[in-house]
Amino acid sequence: MSVAAAAKAIAAKELSPVELTAALLARIERLDPKLNAFIRLDGEAAMAAARTAEAEVAAGRLRGPLHGVPVGIKDIIDVAGLPTTCHSKILADNVATSDAVCVAKLRGAGAIVLGKLSTHEFAIGGPSHDLPWPPARNPWNADHHPGGSSSGSGSGVAAGLFPMALGSDTGGSVRNPASCCGIVGLKPTYGLVSRRGVFPLSFTLDHIGPMTRTVADNALMLEVLAGHDAHDPGSVAVVKGHYASGLERDMRGLRVGFVRHFHEIDMPADPEVTAALEHVARTLQLEGAEIRDVHLPTLAEFAAVNRVILQSEAWAIHGPWLRERPGDYGQLARRRLMGGAFFSAGDYVQAQRRRLEMIAAVEEALRDVDVLLCASSMDPACRIDIPADIERTYPRQARTPFNVTGHPALAMMAGVSMTGLPLSVQFVGRNFAEATLFQVARGWERAAGTDKKHPAIV
Amino acid sequence: MMELLARRAGLDKALAEFPDDVAAAVTQAAGVVQKIKAPADPRAEPWPPMRAGDGL
Repeated sequence: MSVAAAAKAIAAKELSPVELTAALLARIERLDPKLNAFIRLDGEAAMAAARTAEAEVAAGRLRGPLHGVPVGIKDIIDVAGLPTTCHSKILADNVATSDAVCVAKLRGAGAIVLGKLSTHEFAIGGPSHDLPWPPARNPWNADHHPGGSSSGSGSGVAAGLFPMALGSDTGGSVRNPASCCGIVGLKPTYGLVSRRGVFPLSFTLDHIGPMTRTVADNALMLEVLAGHDAHDPGSVAVVKGHYASGLERDMRGLRVGFVRHFHEIDMPADPEVTAALEHVARTLQLEGAEIRDVHLPTLAEFAAVNRVILQSEAWAIHGPWLRERPGDYGQLARRRLMGGAFFSAGDYVQAQRRRLEMIAAVEEALRDVDVLLCASSMDPACRIDIPADIERTYPRQARTPFNVTGHPALAMMAGVSMTGLPLSVQFVGRNFAEATLFQVARGWERAAGTDKKHPAIV
Repeated sequence: MMELLARRAGLDKALAEFPDDVAAAVTQAAGVVQKIKAPADPRAEPWPPMRAGDGL
């Protein structure tokens, strides 16, 4: 059941929050041993919150548009009273004293927190098998990875363990699991959603984003999450949009820029991915959109700028622990986080200077078109137990450019591969124009029926 | 050289316990920087480090 449908049924007293939460907890008990989406399930607190929500409905009081709907939270985001482990031995006992702003907003809108979800260690090192908790798996095929770093969020939403989740995205970590698991994941415009109470990976690249099964649910979540936070130095004071209001508008008059060189030249994609992207473009054209080719800097350069900035900023955070407790990290996180020690201050400044030129290049492209269309993942998810395949395919993506530039970017299903795994597409919008992004994504979803395609896991 | 850089960064313990991981981190970092084009204009500034629209 979608977030919107559940919230509507609860408000109409046709669905009990207690029954919904209990049914999801039973499903989690049955399926999560195969998927490892949860690090910490908080069933007792969730049932207590559901009973409160039910009493409020009976009294005619709805907290907000998510009243009584369960949500899963990536375990780098604080939930009061629960550990924020970042899936790492380093922070195994780090109990949060208050909710992150994004969690507080969801609760304020009536959502029920089910628990904390698997991630790559510190949102960078994974999928790893040498951590205190096992990595999440893909519900389309549990032998394959679900993407990351918001891996439990993607796996759990796709498997129907919860209808919505929070993820974070520094180099594509909301959109990667959305791509691998066939759901909808949004990295909002930098500064639109507060990061206060979220463990940082890279201060100028970190974003918090909603992950759902449908575009409408994603827009609904963003309406709750968006807003200025004076205590988050990256937060921008803008009037938040009405993201769900234009979803059913048709595509006539919209100009879509297709960044073909990302997947045709810079990083040639799997042929099934290429075919799926062409199919998306043709479908949008049939729906009335105008498709134009657009050129941006190369993926290799975007990736280099992202890596220098990300690893330098992450080193500033992790340096003290890496010096004193290197053995308490898993190998992947240790290697990636130590990389930041070997960039110079000049490297970092040069990357930031080039970044501003890259922002200008994307801004220039978006002057002539309303939305960009491009690849997200260049391949379907590979097996989780073959490190060489993970090493080869994880960097084959076109998500990092929009962490570098801050533009809103949404990844969703573009089809299903011959082997039964999701293929993906990415839409990118102008700063703070998430409503247009949702309109285009909904147009594709409506035409292709991607919101009806779920893994066969039961 | 690798050892020198690692010790300068205070990674003595990692160097002793996980020398392969230190070597991998050094190698990864070395290959990245030259992929970035230096801005042609020497006046191009790195500030602000992140800018998403003007806000209110």
